[in-house]
Formats: sequence, C-alpha cells, structure tokens
Amino acid sequence: MSKSLNPVTVEVIGSAFSSAVDEMGEALVRASHSTNIKERRDCSTALCTADGEILCQAEHIPMHLGSFLQFVPRVLADYPVEDLQPGDVFIGNDPYAGGGTHLPDIVMAEPIFVDGTLFGWAINTAHHSDFADRGHAHIYQEGLRIPPIRLQRDGVRQPEVMRLFLLNCQVPAERQSDLRAQMAANRLGVLRMQELCARFGLDTVRAAGAELMAYAERKMRAGIAELPDGTWAFSDIFETESQAEHLTVSVELTIEGDEMRLDFDSPPQVRAGLNVIFTALQATVYYAVKSVVDPTILPNAGLARPLTIKAQSGTLLNCVHPAAVDGRISACQRVVDLIHGALAQAVPDRVNAAACGSVHVASFSGTRPDGSLWVYLETIAGGSGARPDKDGLDAVQVHMTNTSNLPLEALEGEYPITLVEYEFAADSGGDGTWLGGMGVRRTYRVEADCRVQIMGARLTSRAWGLDGGGPGASGAFRINGNPNAIDLTGSADLRAGDLFEVITPGGGGHGAPSGRNADLRAADSRAGRSAAPA
Amino acid sequence: MWRIGIDSGGTFTDVCLIDENGGDVHIWKVSSTPDDPSRGIARAFSEGLERSGAHAADVAFFGHGTTVATNALIQHRGVKTGVITTAGFRDLLAIARQKRPHLYDMSADKPRELVERNLRLGVPERLRRDGSVETPLDEDALRKAVRHLVGQGVEAIAISFLYAFLSDAHERRAAEIVAEEAPGVFLSLSHQIAPEFREYERLSTTTVNAYLGPVMHGYVTALKARLADAGLGVAPHLTQSNGGVTGFDQAAAMSVRTVLSGPSTGVVAAQALGKSIGIPDMITFDMGGTSSDVALLADGTCRLVAEAEVHGYPLKTPMLDIHTVGAGGGSVAYVDNGGLLKVGPRSAGAHPGPACYGQGTEEPTVTDANVVLQTQNPQALLNGQMPIDRDLSMAAVGRLADKLGLGVMETADGILDIVTANTAKAIRLISVQRGHDPRGYALVAFGGAGPVHAARLAAELGMERILIPRTPGVLCALGLLMTDLRTDYATTRIRLLEDVTVAELTEIFDGLNAQAETWFDQEGIAPDARTIALRVDMRYAGQNYEISVELPEGPIGPDSLNALCDGFLAQHRQLYGFVAQGDAIQMVTWRLQATGVVPKAELPAFPEDGPDASDARTGSRPVWMREAGGFTDTPIYDRAALRPGNEISGPAIIDQLDTTTVVPPGMTARVDPHLTLILERRP
Repeated sequence: MSKSLNPVTVEVIGSAFSSAVDEMGEALVRASHSTNIKERRDCSTALCTADGEILCQAEHIPMHLGSFLQFVPRVLADYPVEDLQPGDVFIGNDPYAGGGTHLPDIVMAEPIFVDGTLFGWAINTAHHSDFADRGHAHIYQEGLRIPPIRLQRDGVRQPEVMRLFLLNCQVPAERQSDLRAQMAANRLGVLRMQELCARFGLDTVRAAGAELMAYAERKMRAGIAELPDGTWAFSDIFETESQAEHLTVSVELTIEGDEMRLDFDSPPQVRAGLNVIFTALQATVYYAVKSVVDPTILPNAGLARPLTIKAQSGTLLNCVHPAAVDGRISACQRVVDLIHGALAQAVPDRVNAAACGSVHVASFSGTRPDGSLWVYLETIAGGSGARPDKDGLDAVQVHMTNTSNLPLEALEGEYPITLVEYEFAADSGGDGTWLGGMGVRRTYRVEADCRVQIMGARLTSRAWGLDGGGPGASGAFRINGNPNAIDLTGSADLRAGDLFEVITPGGGGHGAPSGRNADLRAADSRAGRSAAPA
Repeated sequence: MWRIGIDSGGTFTDVCLIDENGGDVHIWKVSSTPDDPSRGIARAFSEGLERSGAHAADVAFFGHGTTVATNALIQHRGVKTGVITTAGFRDLLAIARQKRPHLYDMSADKPRELVERNLRLGVPERLRRDGSVETPLDEDALRKAVRHLVGQGVEAIAISFLYAFLSDAHERRAAEIVAEEAPGVFLSLSHQIAPEFREYERLSTTTVNAYLGPVMHGYVTALKARLADAGLGVAPHLTQSNGGVTGFDQAAAMSVRTVLSGPSTGVVAAQALGKSIGIPDMITFDMGGTSSDVALLADGTCRLVAEAEVHGYPLKTPMLDIHTVGAGGGSVAYVDNGGLLKVGPRSAGAHPGPACYGQGTEEPTVTDANVVLQTQNPQALLNGQMPIDRDLSMAAVGRLADKLGLGVMETADGILDIVTANTAKAIRLISVQRGHDPRGYALVAFGGAGPVHAARLAAELGMERILIPRTPGVLCALGLLMTDLRTDYATTRIRLLEDVTVAELTEIFDGLNAQAETWFDQEGIAPDARTIALRVDMRYAGQNYEISVELPEGPIGPDSLNALCDGFLAQHRQLYGFVAQGDAIQMVTWRLQATGVVPKAELPAFPEDGPDASDARTGSRPVWMREAGGFTDTPIYDRAALRPGNEISGPAIIDQLDTTTVVPPGMTARVDPHLTLILERRP
C-alpha cells in the first residue's frame, strides 16, 4: 500500500465506486423501455481503469462480467488514447471482437477524463431482446455483429452507425430507447468519478483502485488457502433443446496453497448456439469459485489473479470463430456444476447439491396489426440445490443469471399473451434429508399467431444430489400438452389459443432421504409437495 | 390545553408535552413494557401529565408512535393467515420476483413465507387486462376455500385477484362470502389496501396487512381502554409511514401503513424545526445504537415513495423516503481477511454493548472510538449516569491498530471515518441519486449518536450547516405534536397524456376525493381543516418506472395537464439526465393525499442573551481533533445552560443528557431562539 493511502481512504473510495455503479444500474433500469431491462433487469454496470481492468461491477448478472473483460482493451487496440475525447461513446457486441459473450448483450462504454487525463471508463451491458427467431449454425446467423466502434464523438452522435444497427433490429424503437438509457447511465458514472477525483485527487483515486484490486486478490488467496490442497475431478452431462445427445464435460480442479487451477475438457465446438467464448468461461469460473471460497470478495479484476483457467481452443468451452454462442449460458450453468461438483469433494460442508442447471428461456415474436414486430423474452427460474443444512430455494434464478420475472399485469398489456398458470412444479425438488428447490410451471395462452423459440437444459438429464440426495426432476416445454412439439431448431409456430407450457427443473437433494425429519415430511405433504421420483 | 406525543420504542417510551398556551415543553422517559406496551404508555401518560402539572381532561391532542407492527413483522409474530388468489397463482407469494436473495452466498434465505402453502388457495375467476370479466367468480369454490382456511384456524384472510385494481367486483363479492362464512376473521382486500398494478407487490402488501391486522387491532383496543381509564377524553391518533397520523380504527384496518411509523415522526419534527428557523432544504440524520435513518427534505417536504421493501417484504404503501443503514454507536469495527478496516453492520447493541461498558466484549465499536478520542466523555455516558472504562476501549481499538499497523488514535479516527462513509453512502442515495446536491442542504442531526458524528458527516458531503434540535434524543415524540392527520388514496389508470381531457382528469380525482371525504367525516375533521394534494405517477410510454408529479394547487383545468407535462419532463431530466423529445407520455397511477390540518404546537422562542456562553461552560478535557492534528484542550459546555444568542467556537464539546455535540475547530455553534444549535463553518 502506498504511503499516502491508508486503509480508511481505500474503504471510503471503494464505497464511492460501488455507489456509482449502483446508481448507473438504477438509472439504466428506470429509463429503459424494453421489458427485459426495465422489469427483468437483465443488465449490468461497471467502472474500469484506463486500460480496461474492472474496478467495480454492480452485482446484477454474473454472466455479464464476461462482457466487460475485453471491451476496453479492444477499443484501445483500434483507437489510440490520443484519439479519445470526453463525450465519446463506444458500442459493441461481438464475442470474437471483444464486444461481449453473445450478440444480444450490447456493451456501451464512455471514457472518463479528469483534467485532460484518461482516468478510466464507465461501461454497461444490457440484454436487448431482439435478434429473435434467428438461426444458430454459426455466429453470422445470430444477429448483427458489432466490433467495439465509436457511436458518439465528442458528445455528437454518429447517426450512420445507429441507422445501420437499427435496420438490423426487429424492434428498433425499443432498441433506440434502451441504448439512450445505457448512454445516460454511463454519463452518470463519468460525472461521479470526476467528482470523486476532484475531491481526493486523480492519483489517490487511482491508487485506491489499485489497492482495491489487490485487496480482492488477497481475499481470494486467503479464501483458497483455507481449502485443502489437492486435485479433484468431476464430470457431468450437457444436453439442451438443440443438443439431444448427451455430451460429457469435465473439469480437473487443483488447489495449491493460495492458488487454484481449473482444466476443462469438453467436446469440439458444436453447430448450435451453445458454445462458450473464453471471456464467458472466465466470468463463470470467477462466479463459481467466489460463491464457495468467499461470497464477500469485491467484484473487481483482482479476484481473478490467483486463478488459472485452461480449456482447449476450438472446444465447446473455449470456442473459436465462427461458432454460434447465443445460448452460451446453458453451458456456463453446467460449468458451475462442474466446479461445485469438484469442490464438494474438497469441502463437502460448503457446497450445495446441483441447482436446476438451466436458464429456461421462452422468446415469443410476432407481428402487430400495424405491421411492426414484437419480441417478448422471458427466462424462468427453477429450483436451487439443497444445502448441507437446509432445503434448496424454490423458484429462484440460479448461478449465472438473476433476472426478475415479468409481472403478468405488465406482460398482458404489452403482448398478445395471457398467463394462465404460474405455480410450483410440486414434485420437482430432489429427495433427501434436505430437499432440492422446486421448479415452476408457467403456462401461456397466445392470443395471436406467433413464433416461440426456446432454450433450456436438464430436459433429459437431471440435477445431481449430494451425499445420498436424489436428483431433481427434468424440465420441459410443451405445446398443448405435447412435450415433443418443438424440434431441434428450438422454434415452433403457435396459433392463437395455443397453450405453451414451461416447466423448469428442480434442484438436487442433499443427504439420504431416510434422514428427513418426520415433521418436515408431514409439512411437505400438507403443502402438497412431494420429492422428485428417484 | 396540552398536546401529548408518546413514542414507544423497544427500550424507552418517550413523552413530550407542549402547553398550547405558554409553549412550555416537557419531556420525560419511562422504561418500555414490551410484553404489553400499553402499560408503559399509560404510565408515561400519567407521569408526564403529573410532572407538567396537567390533567388528563386538559389534553386536546394525543399522538402516538409505535413499533408494534414493525416488530410483529420482523419477529414473525403476526397471526395465522390465509391467502386467496386467482386460480393458477397460489404460489405467487412465494415465487415473488424469482430472484435469489444473494447473488453469491448460496446459504442465504428468502424472507420467511408469511403464509404456508396449504393456506394459499386459488379460486377460479379472471379479469382481462381492461378489467372485463373473462371467468366469473366461482362462488362455490370460494366458499370451499374459506371453509378450508377457517378449518385450519386462520385469523385473517388476504384476497388478491388479478387486475383487482381495475375492477373490484370479484373481491367485493368474495368479501361478502367471507363475511358469511367466517364472520370473525380479519379481511384484507387488495383493491382497498394497494389498488395498483404489479400483482406480486399488491399481493405481498395485502398479505402483510392481513398478517398484522389482528395484532394491531388487539393493540389499539387495549391501549384505547387504558387511556380512557387514565382519563383521556379525546380520540387518540397513531402515526403512519407517510408521516401523518390517523385514528386508531383506520390504523388497525390499514396496519401495513404503520410499519415505518417510527422513523417518520423524526422527519416530521425536523421539518417543523426547519420551518421555525426558515431552512426549507434539509437532510435528516437520526443515528442510534444499531442504525442510522436518513431522509431528504426539499423545500420543506420529504418525498413520499409508493413502494419499498420493508424487512424483506415489498410493500406498496405511501412511505416517507427514509433510508436505513447499519451504522450506529454500537456498530462493531473489525479487520477482515483482506486487511481492510470495516465497521458494521453488525452491532454490539445494548448487551453486551461497546467494550467500554465492561460487559465482556472485546471488539471495539464506534462508541469505543469516540471514547478513545475523548469526543465522548471518557468516564461516563448519559451525563454521568453510566460509568465506563476508557482503558477497555483503548485495548479494544489497540488490538485493531496492531493488525492494521496504524496508531491507536489513527485507528479510532479511521473507525469514525468509515462509519461516516457508510452513512454518507446512504445520503448520496437519497440526494445525489435523486438529483439533489447535498451541499445546498442543512444536516439535521438527532438520535443519541447523531450530534457526535454530524460535523464529520457534513464535511464528507460538503454540507455547510448543521442543526441540532433542543431534544435530539426524543425528537420523535416531539414530532408527534407537529404532524397532521393524513391518508392516501390511489388508483391505476394507464392513459396517454395527450388523450386525457380535463373532464377525465376531474372524474378520476373526483372518485378519489369521494373516498377522502368519507375519511374526513370518520375522523371528524372540520371542513376548513381539510386539504388535498393530487399527484400523478407518469412515465414515457414504454418505461415501467414512474415519476410522481404534483398537480399545482387549485381547481383542475387545462393548465393542470400542461403543468403535469412540464413537471414530468423537468424531473426526468433531473433524474436521468435527458428527456426524450416527442415521445409519448403516460399517466399511470393517480394519487390523492388527504390532510386534516391540526393546530400545531408552536416551539417556544426565548429572548436573546448575547454571544457569551461562558456561564454554560463546565470545564475542559483533551479531545483528539483531526483538524488540530491530535489532542487539544477542549472546553466542555452544558447544553441545558445555553441561552439564545450564545456562540461557541470550536473546538468544543456540548454535553446534554441524551447526546453529545462535537464542534470541531473551524466551526462555530450558535444557539437560536428555539434553543436549536446551529453549527456553521467559520468564514
């Protein structure tokens, strides 16, 4: 720690960083127009150093960290610092050009200048529910690819870029409003950092930033050092709506002193939107390790330093151009299962049984009477894994996502859809001394002809239990009761009046079922719930 | 005639009496009686009157603040409650917004379910999004559901059907059936409790209201009887989260509106104080043992929020925009495993309390840091009533200092800096994040620990003026005497601003007004004391979060719509930094606040006595002042002996029974005619 900095100043400046990213996030949600951002809060905000290291991320969606890891370095590769000026705004989304982890996550960044010096960047990403009903054979089918480029120069918008982008979107009016909210959020971040530097001085704030990263690193090292040394291997099955065959993915996790190494093994990348770009794998590892080692570690670049991540390039978990990546979060959820499965062998009392392991998505799209298009995307929560000392949580988003649901009274006002049921899938949680959390059954009736595209995993495999606990039930998508109505493209036509049903998987159980207390069994039965069949 | 305010907390019950004629203010504290708070209150009432030489028959107004509803919610001591929803949605209460409680901590739990699954039932009925009926209410199924719940022994039932905010027909019919099947059961209907859109939050609010209703009903019934026995001849009033008071019956029927009544009266008192001094822009800072409450008053009023999460449960009910942060005198300081100094939110509370209490704890608290620095009296707290041991504080802070490689004083000073930064973060949330620059605001500090830390906090936020009320420790009780009767009505009607006519605007508000008139009559409020304020929550079509815009006073006319439009655009720019030229604007929730203006107690003013404060000086002690770079001999003053006009230049310490005020070097404290201390930076 430098002489002029004491731990108190560092703590005070760290608190100002987290205030600023929270404020950016709140402004983004409140000013945006698409339901996916304004109600479901599928967006994240952060501050970066001048060269793009993450100083502080608002704790919204763990997956989004992957969007921030390479964006600024790639901007700087194409735009030398001398060419940047206050009021510039950069936009991008392409995973192979540093822009994000899949195309709908659009990243925007604004440089923060303090007295003519580049201090850092305000950055955010938001999941735009657009690029709907596309193909996923390779990335060129998945939407418009945007490398990090300048959308605004010195406060002046470059309308050509916007026109090109909007022409490629199905719901351009929403995109325009959401991008405006993203820019306004960054602006707040820039102002707050300028105020902070005016108070403490640029050098002090910079030094505090560096110290906060060193602090996160120290915490991560201290946490890893508490775990036993050794190597643990774990394998799991990966299958989804577009990948019927069960693929095997695995990890070898080594703990040595205060460092951890993770070697992933997975099949060659697939011709489906399931591949994981390396930044997405990094974000997943950071989440999964932090959740076991120490959930309080600050969300900045420092926590990554004690971790080494390896995966063969060209494979499912470290794909290369032109692999499609839209549904990478399905694979990332399984990566969390791998890491937790390995760590459960090292520290059994700190790891839960597998959570539902899926991000169940239903994305509806159609044409309004006036000819404009509509897109409604929803991700539906499942059960979390049973804990070593208590049941899993029912109907919660797990691991890499944490979006809200869309209120029925907001949904039905915006789209020709009626929600007819939204209840627990009462027999979905894995059996055990502690039960896995329950998934849900969410049934829509469409009131106009439209398309639906689904995404989901654990449709034929099941979330594993621990220490004798049983697996959670698989999930399903059904049209008018038929679970096989949707083929491997993951899409189907719906006619007005059709019922579309989403059932999310339950979490795995923990401990032998015979160990469950009789009073709890009686309460389960009173509540009308039963454990998933073994 | 006298006005009495009684604020009943967990440890003490505070009484404040004001003589309407002379303006005499009396304060008194008795121990609370948590097993039956009405006992302590009745005692406080009688003793307060006795000490003031007043009689129960002379009481013209009785205002009461209570934590009964809050505590019942926190401790899950509500009644066994049943929930009836639209069929297919029985689990909505448990699914909530499907987010997990903590992003990384997998052992974290959701707030406890107030209603277990076998008491949550769906009944066939369904309205469409325009309020028309798709499926009529299945009355047999409803009857069956009610019988089941009664068979399970519920004491309260919450009914929340989809779109009930658009049409109350099904809920009203359901209420009739419940009244037949379960006459004694407390009933809570969503269209009455929270007639606004977003089904989960409406259901949650309606459920909490049912869960707390019978508790509150039992409480006010017992209290009313005790007060009548003690001779009280006027109808007692109870505070609500909106900063106003209401009659006991309404408080029981709408118990969910009293959940945040405690902190709101402090804000109301600060508001009255600001008015008496002529300072309309203030930030309140109420710091106690475990937490601090902060609120912002712009132009003399505190923003009302329509929804907030309270103890984990989202409530759609009008609440003053008060934020709580886990930063109090008892907050524990520690070094975490990454080597940084942290303070709170864990608190040592009153037991074991700070290390200096000598009750066995070795961890330093914020109070210990103050004792080490001698900003707080190193021998005893509470004006000498509670002896303490500074050596224990020194040892506790010293252990931290060793871990940090800092000096003991530097560490104690750092603890205060960090607790200040934590509080400043909460204040930024209610000021900067809402588009207000705190530098233009005065800081009103109260609570036992507020005046100790006020100067540091003001410096951290660049605020230049601090107000310390005359009775910082019992400000809430005083606030009870400053408040009006107040209640809120709302309805959701989503309409484009450009389509709304003056006739429609009038019609919607007439509907709310009719409800307000009924309440005015119930509360016996005289016609000339009745006022209403109208607001509309507005947004750009496409957004889902609204900005609440006030209608100018006076009759509704064509200008009203223009004023709403202008008000919306100005606030949108202030909050988000832009306006979307040409985009359509929607009106969403229409709100009416009804106020029954009651005659306020005037704070007495005293004649000026000149700047010389030496008569109040009681001695001096070395106090560690950062501005002075170390210990500096600091004069001590007795607050009770200070007279209007007195001036004290920092460094100085001003002691009084319920708090200590720190005046750092470079600041001057002045006593105003109402005996408020005003601290300002010396030019």
